[in-house]
Amino acid sequence: MQALVLIFYFITPFAYAQERTVSGTVTDSNGGPLPGVSILIEGTSRGTTSDADGNYSLAVPDTESTLIFSFVGYTTERMVVGNQSEINISLIEDISQLEELVVVGYGTQQKRDVTGAISQVKGQDFENLPVASSSQALQGRAAGVQVIRNGGAPGNTGSIRIRGTGTINNAEPLIIIDGFPGSSLDDVNPNDIESMEVLKDASASAIYGTRAANGVIIVTTKRGKTNENLKLSLNAYTGVSNAIKTVDVLDAPTLAQLKRERYVNDGLPIDPIWEDPQYQVQRTDWQDELLDQGITQNIDLNLRGGGESSSFNMSLGYFNEEGMMKNSFFERFSLRLNSDHKINKRLNIGQSLQLTSRKGNFLNTNSAQTGVLWSAIRFQPSLPVIDADGNYGSSQVSGEFGDINNPIFTVDTEDDQETRHRILGTLYAELEIIKDLKLRANFGIDGEIFDRDNFEIIINDQIRARDRNSLIRSYRETYSLLAEYFLSYQKTFAEKHTAGIVGGYAAQTFDEASFLARRRDFPDEAALQRYLDAGNTIDNAEGNRTYDGLESWFARANYEYDNRYLLTLTFRADGSSRFDDGNKWGYFPSFSAGWRISEESFWNVGLISDLKLVGGWGELGNQNVDRNQFLALIATGERYSFGGEQTVGAAQSRIPNPNITWETVQMTNFGVEIGFLQNQVLADINYFIKDTKDMLLPVPVIGSQGQASVPDRNFGEMRNQGLEMELSYRGNKGDLSYRISGNASIIRNEVTRLNAPFLETRRYGRPNEEIARVFPNEPLSPFYGWVADGIYQNTNEISADPSIANDPRNEAGLIQPGDVRFVDLNGDGLIDENDRTIIGDPNPELVYGLNAGVNYKGFDLNLFFLGSAGHEIFNADRMQGIDPTYPFNMYAETTGRWTGEGTSNTIPRMTTRRDNLNHRSSTLFIENGGFFRLKNVTLGYTIPSELTSRIGISRARFYVTGQNVFTITDYSGMDPELGYVDNNLQLNVDYAQYPQARTWTLGTTIDF
Amino acid sequence: MKKLILTASTICLVTFSIISCKDDLLESPPFGQFTSATFWQSGEDVVAATNAIYEPLRDHDFYGHAEHTFSIVEDDQWRAGDHGEDQAIEELTFDPSNAQLAAGWREKYEVISRANAVLINAPEVEMDASLKDRSLGEAYFLRGFSYWRLHVIYGSTAIILEEDVLAGEYNKPKATIEEMQRQIESDLQMATQLLPQSHSAADLGRVHNGTAWGLLCKLYMYMDRLNDAITAGDNVINGPYPLAENYADNFRIETENNPEMLFAVQGLDAWAGTAHRIYTTPRPWGGWDFHAPTQNLVDEFEQDDPRRDATLFLPGEMVDLGGDRGLTEYTTELSQTGYHFQKFASWRSAGGLDEGQNVPILRAADVYLLVAEAKIRSGQNGDTELNAVRTRAGLAPVTNATMDDVIHERRVELAGENQRHFDLMRWDKAGIVDIVSIYGEDRGQFDPPRSFDRNKHYYFAIPQREIDVSNGVLEQNPGY
Repeated sequence: MQALVLIFYFITPFAYAQERTVSGTVTDSNGGPLPGVSILIEGTSRGTTSDADGNYSLAVPDTESTLIFSFVGYTTERMVVGNQSEINISLIEDISQLEELVVVGYGTQQKRDVTGAISQVKGQDFENLPVASSSQALQGRAAGVQVIRNGGAPGNTGSIRIRGTGTINNAEPLIIIDGFPGSSLDDVNPNDIESMEVLKDASASAIYGTRAANGVIIVTTKRGKTNENLKLSLNAYTGVSNAIKTVDVLDAPTLAQLKRERYVNDGLPIDPIWEDPQYQVQRTDWQDELLDQGITQNIDLNLRGGGESSSFNMSLGYFNEEGMMKNSFFERFSLRLNSDHKINKRLNIGQSLQLTSRKGNFLNTNSAQTGVLWSAIRFQPSLPVIDADGNYGSSQVSGEFGDINNPIFTVDTEDDQETRHRILGTLYAELEIIKDLKLRANFGIDGEIFDRDNFEIIINDQIRARDRNSLIRSYRETYSLLAEYFLSYQKTFAEKHTAGIVGGYAAQTFDEASFLARRRDFPDEAALQRYLDAGNTIDNAEGNRTYDGLESWFARANYEYDNRYLLTLTFRADGSSRFDDGNKWGYFPSFSAGWRISEESFWNVGLISDLKLVGGWGELGNQNVDRNQFLALIATGERYSFGGEQTVGAAQSRIPNPNITWETVQMTNFGVEIGFLQNQVLADINYFIKDTKDMLLPVPVIGSQGQASVPDRNFGEMRNQGLEMELSYRGNKGDLSYRISGNASIIRNEVTRLNAPFLETRRYGRPNEEIARVFPNEPLSPFYGWVADGIYQNTNEISADPSIANDPRNEAGLIQPGDVRFVDLNGDGLIDENDRTIIGDPNPELVYGLNAGVNYKGFDLNLFFLGSAGHEIFNADRMQGIDPTYPFNMYAETTGRWTGEGTSNTIPRMTTRRDNLNHRSSTLFIENGGFFRLKNVTLGYTIPSELTSRIGISRARFYVTGQNVFTITDYSGMDPELGYVDNNLQLNVDYAQYPQARTWTLGTTIDF
Repeated sequence: MKKLILTASTICLVTFSIISCKDDLLESPPFGQFTSATFWQSGEDVVAATNAIYEPLRDHDFYGHAEHTFSIVEDDQWRAGDHGEDQAIEELTFDPSNAQLAAGWREKYEVISRANAVLINAPEVEMDASLKDRSLGEAYFLRGFSYWRLHVIYGSTAIILEEDVLAGEYNKPKATIEEMQRQIESDLQMATQLLPQSHSAADLGRVHNGTAWGLLCKLYMYMDRLNDAITAGDNVINGPYPLAENYADNFRIETENNPEMLFAVQGLDAWAGTAHRIYTTPRPWGGWDFHAPTQNLVDEFEQDDPRRDATLFLPGEMVDLGGDRGLTEYTTELSQTGYHFQKFASWRSAGGLDEGQNVPILRAADVYLLVAEAKIRSGQNGDTELNAVRTRAGLAPVTNATMDDVIHERRVELAGENQRHFDLMRWDKAGIVDIVSIYGEDRGQFDPPRSFDRNKHYYFAIPQREIDVSNGVLEQNPGY
């Protein structure tokens, strides 16, 4: 009803148009006059400035006019003239920087009083970015926070690392949404976010104890304000995404020529398939077929407002992304309702509710045997997508075409979808018991229903055939309940002393129940029949339940003296159900202190308006490891048959470790905050040392243990240390306002202790090529292999090479010109496993983000750059892509192969033989991984409100946004943003992951 | 006002009691899983644990495929397929990090680990005595069998027994070859004492007394203990393990569990299938086209030997692929060598390879030929045993059979069944054949010359991964 009145009000034609004069005084919050304030009639160029006493006078056209009061360093105010002839206004100092409130665990603090390391990212900074997940929105926006994209598939969310990878186990930070810990960023509509606070050091995050070791991200969603006019806004954008780059591969005639050359070089008869003319016709560019144009759409509706005692914020959102890779999609519906109510002077209650529904499919894009992009790079180019008979082109014709299915067949017939429905609701009540003493209770529920349907069709005509069809339905319900109670007290006494204390109790439970059912032998594969009932054979039914519980006591005390000296102490005790009696409880203390030097009477540096030093130390925990590892588990379900009858076996699935407990992190932080030029320029610099102790390590699984999982032991240690810098500057000149901010982190990671000479990581492809290992006293998972030193150009070089003087392959004449010269590191005259070494570091030395924005009149332009430097990429896809011993298509660069003395020193000869293992893991495939990317550019225009207000629109903005606009990199593969594979254990290895797209969107924001 | 506070406090208390007054808030029971404390209660548990010992045999990396890849060195088969690392195996130029060498290592030890679990826990369980004996016998046999496979492939490896498991000691140095053989012998002997002679229909496929004696016979042949081999083998020949009427019965799903089949990996379609069928069949027929028989093997069959047909797909042969395809002609284009093995695959009538095809590991015919060989090599007459195999195939008996006859007969009878390469090495050690010249001969692209180094190639290399993770405890075999 109120909304209707409001809309009616806006569309009422100007009834009282008449010129009049308005005058008044502009003051600051202390009542002092403010000279030089710009006063402008909105939508016009008419205006004036206040005089030395803050007075002004201005003729306005009508009562509908709005005056805009603005002044550097103060918030801008707008006033509708109405019937007033005198408008006195008090401008508040712009607190968007130092005075701003920062959300901390169980409360808020002014940024100036914070002694820990906290980065704040405002929702407005990533509003309307065409990204599916809020974690992507965070990428590059805070120092020490790395959002690592694990490929660009729709809905792919990426990994978040705060202050480096702190453990080989789960290194994801704790996400707290509207006070509920343990939720997921993926379910939050980015446009609903008011701010994200990243708690980076121990002092800031220790209040979350045993879940805080990897840092904490607190998400606060938008809420209404009391006495706020009702506002309805609409956000919509739509756009297209395209591949940035594809891998150049050979065309069919050239491929056949190089394949024949292999046989000729080896003195073998040529496989007839390569002389068959029908396979020397270029028919299909498989990458082009696979990578189409994607479409992204988003629409949000938001309604907010508030009266005397209640306020609310409500939003509806729909996001849909059809990926550039055929048949990949993601969509999300979201609904949010937040409200706050003052029951009386002393009691406030409120709630947040978030409902989301996500749906998507996830194509396999990181397997070097079945990945679809991997397949598209390698699939035989002379085969058609669909042949004259209407069948998909198939590699069944010859073993020379490899064991790859037609990738278009794969994506066309893939039917694997998952949906997730999630509810996140919180409820709070806050009671002021006596002045300054508050009791708050938070309750919450986070529930998710996960449902996945995967129908696998019968495949007869592709090489990876499937004899029988099947439908697997997996269903999982998870829910977590939270109850928290805490008291807070804040008081200033004797003017200069301010003390605060927060303390309370929290309990949280996590339940999960799941089942999986499979039927096979569906007589009809039509979409209508893809339900379990239609399958003839009941094949599998399984289900289980898990439970975790956490119980905690926590407290924090703050003390401030005279704005100069600051002290924070926190403590948390956590009990976790994941560990055995006696190991359940952990205790996590921290402290930090700050000194605002610029408040000292001796401080007299005009240029530096604010200077604060902070330092802190604390302990944190990570309990996010497999539960119940102190029990020896026996798993049933080992299938076998006797006498043609089904039997099931039971075998030990886990060897127990009774002593298992959480990982501990000790972190020390030093920081300095500097404000220059009346705080127009702010710099925040932090140095930290983060030591992970008791890191849970798998005991190296010696083959002789068989296949049962071996429990982790609290044995490893890891150190991350780094320097983080954030710098921001804001200013304006006339109508031009501009802001620039940047952040950079330099992080060194080192695994300082292992219980084994090394840990293994995932191997690559069919020959199980080793890519990376975890070694003590090295950064996490360096690349491991041989050192290549060019190519043997002639037989003299081979016979003269002392590195292979004793190599039996050399003696047998198996090393030939055109083969790779490897370095004999141990000098024993042969190249073998003992010549392997560390050949690259995937961990960036420097990651940085740069944000620049300009506003001029109605135009706004924002540029956001992202970069990383000082790390390598293992281009495993290329390692296989130029290897002629595989029955696959090859990279186009193999046309530059070695064919005789002096022809190439980097690409080995064509051969079917693997005697010299030219394409084993070596420095040949290590590339510089650094990149600098224009991640986002947005250009917007806001139509002057005097035009739009006539049709009832208070603000209308149109914009165009580009994602991944350009990238500067030396990396030769598709995309240098590669992310993790094998949990944390492999970073920056190119498996032909789903690459990121270049996306252009057009959008609008309309406020009614 | 007071009322409100009261209401609020009540809500708090109620919610509090829902989740935080649980006194078991911090207890997380292992729902749906047994722990070692709750398992091993009954005979059913022991049988389930025993059944589980067989399960890893089905893995692709064990008898699903990789176990047969150790045989591609032999002159009977060309590697075919598209596994790049197989070239070095076939040509004996492999490095210790060749992926094939690690295939099956952990699966074999998983069998050992599951067998050890039964040997440790079953004796304490109150249950039917004969069932207990059978289970213990199966555990002893399968442990011995795994060590046997480790022995013939790698020579010797770490021996992990009950006491090692109880002590958590897995990173052990290699045993000697003799210790390895002693362990296998002792496990198999235990199995002969504990296992029944045969099983009822519902338990077909479990190992029995005859399986243990048969493998023991083979072990003794590898140890050149000819008399012991004859004694052990006679327990099979005189036991209820007659040769199947038709050779091909051993490779048909309906008859694959006939008494001759002493040990085979059991496959059951739609439940627990075997994989070897995919590897040995042509690509357009749904297979992956590995293990192509060589012309040299085809030529070895006598003209009228029906085993050639039963063993191989021959050009012109009509094969029922079921479903829409039905009877389909086998043509030379389907294979690089012109042939495929037929023994290990069949197609469902509805189409698609049948997962119910067993993978044969040990047949009584193998034992007959081993006994014949032992007799001939120890100066006796082996005609009876050799001719039993020949006459079953409908061939004329030989008289005063020689080692040449045995070598020929083993080659054709057991083609593709993982014996030839290991037989040749065994005979070479005994001075019966010259493996260096057999393998050194150039018989064309699919049977190229390869240089067999007697200082090295009797055993494959220990997987480099295991050397690496053992931190110096496990030593590489000589020559690598």
